[in-house]
Amino acid sequence: MEDGVIFQPLQFRNLRVKNRLFRSNISGRFDNYNGTGTQTRINWEESFAKGGVGAIISSYVPVSLRGRIMPNYAMIDADDKVPFWRAVGDAVHRHDCKYILQLSHSGRQRDNPGVENFKTKALSSTSKKDTFHGLLCEAMTLKQIKETIQDFANGARRARQAGLDGVELHASHGYLITQFLSSAINDRKDEYGGVLRNRAAFLLEIIAAIRKEVGDDFHLQAKLNAVDFANALYPWEKKGNTLQEGIQVAKWAEEAGVDAIHVSIGSIFPHPLLPPGGFPPDELNWWYGTMIGSGVRGYFNYTMFHFHILRPIFSAFWERTKKSHPIEAVSSEYCKAVKQNVSVPIINTGGYQDARVIRRVISEGYTDAVSMARPLVANRDLPHILRSGKDLPERPCTFCNRCLVNAIANPLGCYDERRFDGDHAAMVAKIMEVFHPEPFLESERAGQDVRA
Amino acid sequence: MSDETIIRTAEGDLVDRIYSDPVDLYQHRFRRNLLLVVVLVAVVVAIALLRYFLADRPVTYGDIREHFKYGSIGSETGGSVFTPVGGVLPPYLIFKTLPAICPDKLPGGYASLGLIFEPGHELPVGISRRRRLGLDEVGVNCAACHTGTVRTAPESATQIVLGMPAHQLNLEGFFQFVQACSLDDRLTAGNVIAKAKESGTHVSLMQRLLLHLFIIQRIKLETLSLRNRISPLLDDPTLPQWGRGRVDTFNPYKAIQFNWDLTRLPRAELMGAADFPSLWNQQPREGMHLHWDGNNTSLDERNLSASLGAGVTPVTVDYAAIQRVHDWILTLPPPTFPFSIDASRSARGKAVYDAHCAQCHSFTGSKTGTVEDIASIGTDAYRLNSYTYVLATSQALLFPDNVHRFQHFSKTNGYANVPLDGVWARAPYLHNGSVPTLADLLNPPAERPKVFARGYDVYDEHKVGFVTDTAAARASGSTYDTAIPGNGNGGHLYGIALSSEQKQDLLEYLKTL
Repeated sequence: MEDGVIFQPLQFRNLRVKNRLFRSNISGRFDNYNGTGTQTRINWEESFAKGGVGAIISSYVPVSLRGRIMPNYAMIDADDKVPFWRAVGDAVHRHDCKYILQLSHSGRQRDNPGVENFKTKALSSTSKKDTFHGLLCEAMTLKQIKETIQDFANGARRARQAGLDGVELHASHGYLITQFLSSAINDRKDEYGGVLRNRAAFLLEIIAAIRKEVGDDFHLQAKLNAVDFANALYPWEKKGNTLQEGIQVAKWAEEAGVDAIHVSIGSIFPHPLLPPGGFPPDELNWWYGTMIGSGVRGYFNYTMFHFHILRPIFSAFWERTKKSHPIEAVSSEYCKAVKQNVSVPIINTGGYQDARVIRRVISEGYTDAVSMARPLVANRDLPHILRSGKDLPERPCTFCNRCLVNAIANPLGCYDERRFDGDHAAMVAKIMEVFHPEPFLESERAGQDVRA
Repeated sequence: MSDETIIRTAEGDLVDRIYSDPVDLYQHRFRRNLLLVVVLVAVVVAIALLRYFLADRPVTYGDIREHFKYGSIGSETGGSVFTPVGGVLPPYLIFKTLPAICPDKLPGGYASLGLIFEPGHELPVGISRRRRLGLDEVGVNCAACHTGTVRTAPESATQIVLGMPAHQLNLEGFFQFVQACSLDDRLTAGNVIAKAKESGTHVSLMQRLLLHLFIIQRIKLETLSLRNRISPLLDDPTLPQWGRGRVDTFNPYKAIQFNWDLTRLPRAELMGAADFPSLWNQQPREGMHLHWDGNNTSLDERNLSASLGAGVTPVTVDYAAIQRVHDWILTLPPPTFPFSIDASRSARGKAVYDAHCAQCHSFTGSKTGTVEDIASIGTDAYRLNSYTYVLATSQALLFPDNVHRFQHFSKTNGYANVPLDGVWARAPYLHNGSVPTLADLLNPPAERPKVFARGYDVYDEHKVGFVTDTAAARASGSTYDTAIPGNGNGGHLYGIALSSEQKQDLLEYLKTL
């Protein structure tokens, strides 16, 4: 039985998507250290297109090296990256799927600076360190702000050159644009700080610069926080932007020329509410070590994750805000409020998988589409399954967030052994499928001597 | 080079630059600052603890009379918290609560022992307070044994006379009680704190901690140690009790200051109780033979030696405080007789005095301040024999290499002829207080009272001495039996041959001194 609501096409000003299911931003460390792309990334993105989603929004793509969250993610900081992204777009397009590239700048949220960055502090709106890992930063100068705005515009131009279907500004989850927007983070005294309009100036100038660079006929969307919840983890932090402020930013973004708004919540990443679900301490103990030296609180956090006796203390902080929110459709209520105040289409993310939930949020006016990542990592063909009339796959995503913690160290995939009946080897084999096809296999078969 | 570490290898020096990325720099600064804070806090805590435990702060009094009554002469326990020295009383909180902790051992409280309480003062006259070893300690000062009370009639008000022998004080009973209660099972930190609270005294957290962890154990150990030394004196029922108004000066001295084994001394030597003397008018006494047996001719040495008896030690003594008392008693006038005096009879009495007494007892007398041989004075010899040549030589070893070293102690063979200023307030008479009144002293020994009560403070203006033979006197005083060794009332036969009229005249004159 075909579901009427979910599989209705969605028409944006410059883009038509075949259904209401978007692959949200997610990727592993699949690319080259220097930011050039790999076949693995193409495999990764194409697998979702095959699964039936209407559009894929790329994982964050740095617009500059200094704004890279961690190494081994393909960048769009220079024109030489265009051919790779064209290849990605071509692969996805073969499956009647659109590809929207997310333009991103980490700001202070640089989880692993890499050798190129580790001797410098990250750039941000502020010089106050990140509240979770203690990632250090320094406030951008006005010159650096202008340069960064142009980096975003250049990224958008390259995406269009690569034949991609649109770009998204990552203005949520605590990355650079959030660092300007959020009252909990932005402590500037100049025209980019203070009242909300000043804090939003950075975002709005980026939108204007992109429009100037790519024109009005190229899809541009912004991923925005409806609410910051900046004190979700530590109650002594400031609260950050309220829903009213989130709505106001969305309205300004619409006026500035975005074609859609991707609604989320959370002033840091990860955040107790985003991605919703678990925060597995065993995985943190195994893998958090890879970013232990990135921030000045890494050792503290690792100690909390490592010792069983301390884990309940961290959990008590991590869980405190989650108690008042559902895992599924975690931000839908806030999204609805945003949607009621803007007229461009809305995409909502956070805990979508069950067709009954998706149908409801779309049909009851919470959002126009949903984006999801983890349920698709678990079941690439989730759209086909839903289309076949089932509300849930046989082995649904458990929202355990093991994929999230593994992403900083290991190839991305589903790390929930329970979904493989406890068969670790089977789980790893499934994860490793992303490396097929391999880039050099064709030449081996052709009998060429690759050693020559 | 501060942020570089040089690693030496076979190939040469490798310079390992550290602390050069922002995270390392931050953490390096953070740890350095944390270490600084920890060190700073440790230093501050250490200084605070040192100040707390090293503080030596007496409660001071501007008025010399208050200083005499309540000021510290250093007799509180002191030294270091690890090896406390000196002192014969437990800390303030314990001292104050002892009567409530052992009510059966002292039903009437400290006042029943003859300690004098004045309005507005928590502690009795003669007990000083001083912060030492982190606690308020208490000690005994000069006034304990040298402040007496007088009433002109049972119903009249009590006069407190500074410098007067504390004829009402049961010093032996006082020490017996403090020691017995200190060793009592009921003396616990919990009881002390509870009783202090009942009396409205605040007990700080630090005090509770110290009481629970150290003080009670320390007090019991120190009391046992002290008790072991003087046990042969205080625990032997066959030795005469001191009774009110008396102290055995030199036998506890032997045990406490020199740690002599008293059981090895001749028993007769352990019976040295004698009356407290008066403290006034000391200036003319400089150079005279002081103490009953005249064993020292220096006021300073006599004062310092007396303070040792109050619990002072060479390391805890407060010389300045003692000097203040010394300067004051040089000219402290004797008290005036509290009844009327018949002037004409007194004038006649002066002639008798000049003829029969002045040679030995007037400040200008040729023999005043000298030692009268025991054979000629004939009074009880036990006090004389309790002070020995060995003790005199040992005393010279106290305060070694010090300006305060004793140099004037000597063994004598008699009792000193003392000036009679304020003699009316120095009853009972003779060195051992064996004769209750001056009238009795002018009688032959056989006619002097054999058993009487002493320590009662109602005065008998006719016989010149305290009332000894009423029910009230017997109830509040201690019984003095002249038959007990050391209590003999013989000797000093001067004046017994005077006529009754002459004796009356002489008594009238003696009231004026």
